[in-house]
Amino acid sequence: MAMTMKGAVALPAEREVVWAKLNDPEVLKACIPGCQSLDKTSDTSFTAVVKLKVGPVGATFKGSVELTDLDPPNSYRISGQGEGGVAGFAKGGARVELTDPPEGEPGCTLNYDVEANVGGKIAQLGARLIDGVAKKTADQFFANFAAAVRAG
Amino acid sequence: MSATGIGASVRRKEDFRFITGKGQYTDDVNRHGQAHAAFLRSPHAHAEIIRIDAAAALAMPGVVAVFTGDDLAADKIGGLICGWMIHSKDGEAMKAGGHPALAQGKVRYVGDHVAVVIAETLSQAKDAAERIVVDYRVLPAVVATSDALKPGAPVVHEVAPDNAVYRWAIGNEGETQAAFAKAAHVTKIDLVNNRLVPNPMEPRAAVGDYDSGQDAFTLYTTSQNPHVARLVLSAFIGIAPEHKLRVIAPDVGGGFGSKIFIYAEETVCVWAAKKVGRPVKWTSDRTEAFLADAHGRDHVTHAEMALDDKGRILGLRVHTTANLGAYLSTFSSSVPTYLYAPLLSGQYAIPAIYCEVDAVYTNTAPVDAYRGAGRPEATFVIERLVEVAARETGSDPAQFRRKNFVKSFPHQTPVIMCYDAGNYTAALEKALEMADYRNVGKRKRESERRGLLRGVGISAYIEACGIAPSAAVGSLGAGVGLWESAEVRVNPIGTVEILTGSHSHGQGHETTFAQLVSERLGIPIDNVSIVHGDTDKVQMGMGTYGSRSGAVGMSAIVKALDKIEAKAKKVAGYCLEASDQDIEFRDGKFTVRGTDKEIDFASVALQAYIAHKFNGQDLEPGLKESAFWDPTNFTFPAGVHICEVEIDPATGVTHVDRWTAVDDFGEVINPMIVEGQVHGGIAQGIGQALLEGAVYDAAGQLVTASYMDYSMPRAEDLPNYRIGMTQTRCPSNPLGIKGCGEAGAIAAPPAVINAITDALGHEDIAMPATPQRVWRAVQKMAPKLAAE
Amino acid sequence: MTAVSMVVNGKTVSKDIDPRTLLVQFLRDDLRLTGTHVGCDTTQCGCCVVHVDGLAVKSCTALAIQFEGSQVTTIEGLANGADLHPMQAAFREHHGLQCGFCTPGMIMMAVDIVRRKGNDLDDKTIREELEGNICRCTGYHNIVKAIHAGAEAMGGLSKAAE
Ligand code: FES
Ligand code: FES
Repeated sequence: MAMTMKGAVALPAEREVVWAKLNDPEVLKACIPGCQSLDKTSDTSFTAVVKLKVGPVGATFKGSVELTDLDPPNSYRISGQGEGGVAGFAKGGARVELTDPPEGEPGCTLNYDVEANVGGKIAQLGARLIDGVAKKTADQFFANFAAAVRAG
Repeated sequence: MSATGIGASVRRKEDFRFITGKGQYTDDVNRHGQAHAAFLRSPHAHAEIIRIDAAAALAMPGVVAVFTGDDLAADKIGGLICGWMIHSKDGEAMKAGGHPALAQGKVRYVGDHVAVVIAETLSQAKDAAERIVVDYRVLPAVVATSDALKPGAPVVHEVAPDNAVYRWAIGNEGETQAAFAKAAHVTKIDLVNNRLVPNPMEPRAAVGDYDSGQDAFTLYTTSQNPHVARLVLSAFIGIAPEHKLRVIAPDVGGGFGSKIFIYAEETVCVWAAKKVGRPVKWTSDRTEAFLADAHGRDHVTHAEMALDDKGRILGLRVHTTANLGAYLSTFSSSVPTYLYAPLLSGQYAIPAIYCEVDAVYTNTAPVDAYRGAGRPEATFVIERLVEVAARETGSDPAQFRRKNFVKSFPHQTPVIMCYDAGNYTAALEKALEMADYRNVGKRKRESERRGLLRGVGISAYIEACGIAPSAAVGSLGAGVGLWESAEVRVNPIGTVEILTGSHSHGQGHETTFAQLVSERLGIPIDNVSIVHGDTDKVQMGMGTYGSRSGAVGMSAIVKALDKIEAKAKKVAGYCLEASDQDIEFRDGKFTVRGTDKEIDFASVALQAYIAHKFNGQDLEPGLKESAFWDPTNFTFPAGVHICEVEIDPATGVTHVDRWTAVDDFGEVINPMIVEGQVHGGIAQGIGQALLEGAVYDAAGQLVTASYMDYSMPRAEDLPNYRIGMTQTRCPSNPLGIKGCGEAGAIAAPPAVINAITDALGHEDIAMPATPQRVWRAVQKMAPKLAAE
Repeated sequence: MTAVSMVVNGKTVSKDIDPRTLLVQFLRDDLRLTGTHVGCDTTQCGCCVVHVDGLAVKSCTALAIQFEGSQVTTIEGLANGADLHPMQAAFREHHGLQCGFCTPGMIMMAVDIVRRKGNDLDDKTIREELEGNICRCTGYHNIVKAIHAGAEAMGGLSKAAE
């Protein structure tokens, strides 16, 4: 079960500030919906525990998060994958790019292009719900992130 | 005909326990001290297993053990087998990849078995399974049937580097080419026979038990053929020798083929019972059933039919790719070969036939026999071809069939089968009459006035049942003989137990078999009980599938009853002081020909056991006989089904408005039960045509893994059926029975699709013909029709 | 563990159970009333239908502790001693079952249909009302006939009782 989505959010901060937050495990942990823990294993990789619920199936996914294609302070790829035991697996990634805001507005624009994939029970029982859940999860992450940026 | 004898619609003896909730299904069996098993299944369609870490799971409350493929291998437990050898046309043996009950190193479909957790309660087992950590290296998967043979496709088994299990062919290629060369018209079609999930309402279940004092195992399981399960578990998988393994299949809630096979879970439960020293129980949930029960059908076919200028069929050329899934299941190799292609001649006299079948591996659940097994696929090919050919040549589909029917018997087809008896025209005429075919035009106009499209579809099917002569199937590659056995035990007070190797899981054997005995011995039907489904009680058996219980199973009972009668006559002779040559047996009484001396059956039974009237050296005491029956031919039930649909062009919803079925099953023991079998078969066939389809996404995730997404036929989706019969006796068994269990499922899909395409005016619709697909097809209708 | 107590088929039962125990598990595993079956895990098939306080309930989708103090009737409690309930008798008479696995749920649902829709049922109503029950064996034809006849017989009985 694969799905993709794209979007952009306007952030009220300079690119460098946003970039720093995009690389801060504490911020990421607070923003990833259902994230229980996010521990740095190197400058660009983390181990993570995320709780996810799709329709009737809820599970805790343990896995890794990786930052690649780093181009500070402009863009990177964040990707993760986790095994949820009996519930199956989830994996996904997003290309995140910071660009100039529209004329006359402060801060910068965060563009994202997400693809996600699930398998196992979560696909078998939640197939029709996955698009919605993926979209909601992504929306929530970027909304949380915007809030974190705003909060300074 | 007596009220309970052959031909009477006797109400079923088994029903009382089912309608009062007293049935004993496998999940109702609870053994003292039992633990519960939960299987960890692969979430990936194709992956290497790098590491399995069960430490956390083992530390969970209530966990007794966690086992993986390594544990089975250490105990030298063999893999699951495929019992029918198929050779490719170049003579090479089929390529069977290893099929361990728990994965070793690799998983090959979503649902493949990775580990088993055994715990005090089911919840504890499931909770612990969540804690097993498996490192997978995910591999690309091949999923679609039509992708499997493409160069560069991911390889499912190393033994088959191009994913071909075999490339098989049947018929005469040269003669068929010649037939096409002189054809006046050639009809060509491309068909997909959609993948189905059998879905008996009772999910599979197993309770394994081990008696250390006897060093013997017992397996309670949802099986259509417990003796075959024991044979495979003993001789091939190596659980224990047969005399140390008892397999019991108690009440079984439907099978439709899916409970023929010997699966991983049952194997693991019985093996683990000894490992953990207590009974181990597993019951499939529905999602597991969708993932890991063997699926059915899944063919991609191109077929061509050559006609002369008078509309007579000259030849048939078929190429099929059959998806067998990730592993070869117990009988899967035979389904798209010998159970399929020999039926391609249908009810028609076709001089030349050539069929090639490529069977392929994919990263999907194994595919094996499902109600009809091969014969629905063949019937779909021939009945779609015939329909399209009739339309292309401008002839009435009924007339086209009539013209091409086989009319004299025996009839040897170019593809193995020799049809022994039938009257295809009679069934067609009767069906046309019952369906009021004459007035279809009128009804079409009526529908049109209501803004609806009406179509009519005919399906004239034949099947080969009773799967049968052992030597014949042996020569085609079967690993076992397909006889059946029976034992008749007459008790001293004259009641009778019939021990049969046929298994009943809805077919009503406890009634029909008892009818046969009641009539033959002239005793009340309540004095007869039918014992089946337990390898410790029943001597031997091959089980129930392929509509074989009547034709083969009951024939074995007849043979044993013959022996009983012969012996009883001897006993009666001693009692009546006459030669057994002079004894006649009728209506439960033995008489001395030409005298009024008589003795009833119960008294003879008693005398046989008391043994006072004869000398044990002259005649053995007792009255118990057994027999094995191996038939001389397959049986060939045939019939005509006519379906009328109404389509709402605005929504694409297809409503089955009328259904007429006229079948020739030979002799019928219990018409009520036979009609019920036909109803159920038609429902599954309509399900295939309109509703059902197992769908994997491109990554191999099964997205129809519950009743929310896999559309089962419900009461509202189906019509009432009009059932008629014609009868020609089957010459190859003593009762003249042909078998009825699969007819509906075989006949129905082409009848529905022929009706829909008749309504649409074009042939472009695939199964299942869901409203969405039909709506799209409506948009493709000829402009004049669409404008209406 | 939580204590739960209810009246099942006329008998009061009290047990300590895991609070996540489903009603169907309570009936099958704790009370060994195995006539109620489980055919799915998504509330689609109706094999598990029982009556709770007179209403049909899919027992696979309800926790046992929800029914503290309730009156529960299962297929085992439908007959009056040796006398079959008219709906049970109709299923046998009209061959409304084959493997019997869906049958307890079908019969319990059929009785509920009669309660809601009366004794004079047409085929269309019966088929619509069976939308939550799946049978894989019978093709429904004879189930519809059986419910029709069972409903009539129930009407006859209640008239006779008046
Ligand atoms: S088991 Fe309750 S609805 Fe299927
Ligand atoms: S009788 Fe078998 S599922 Fe209904």
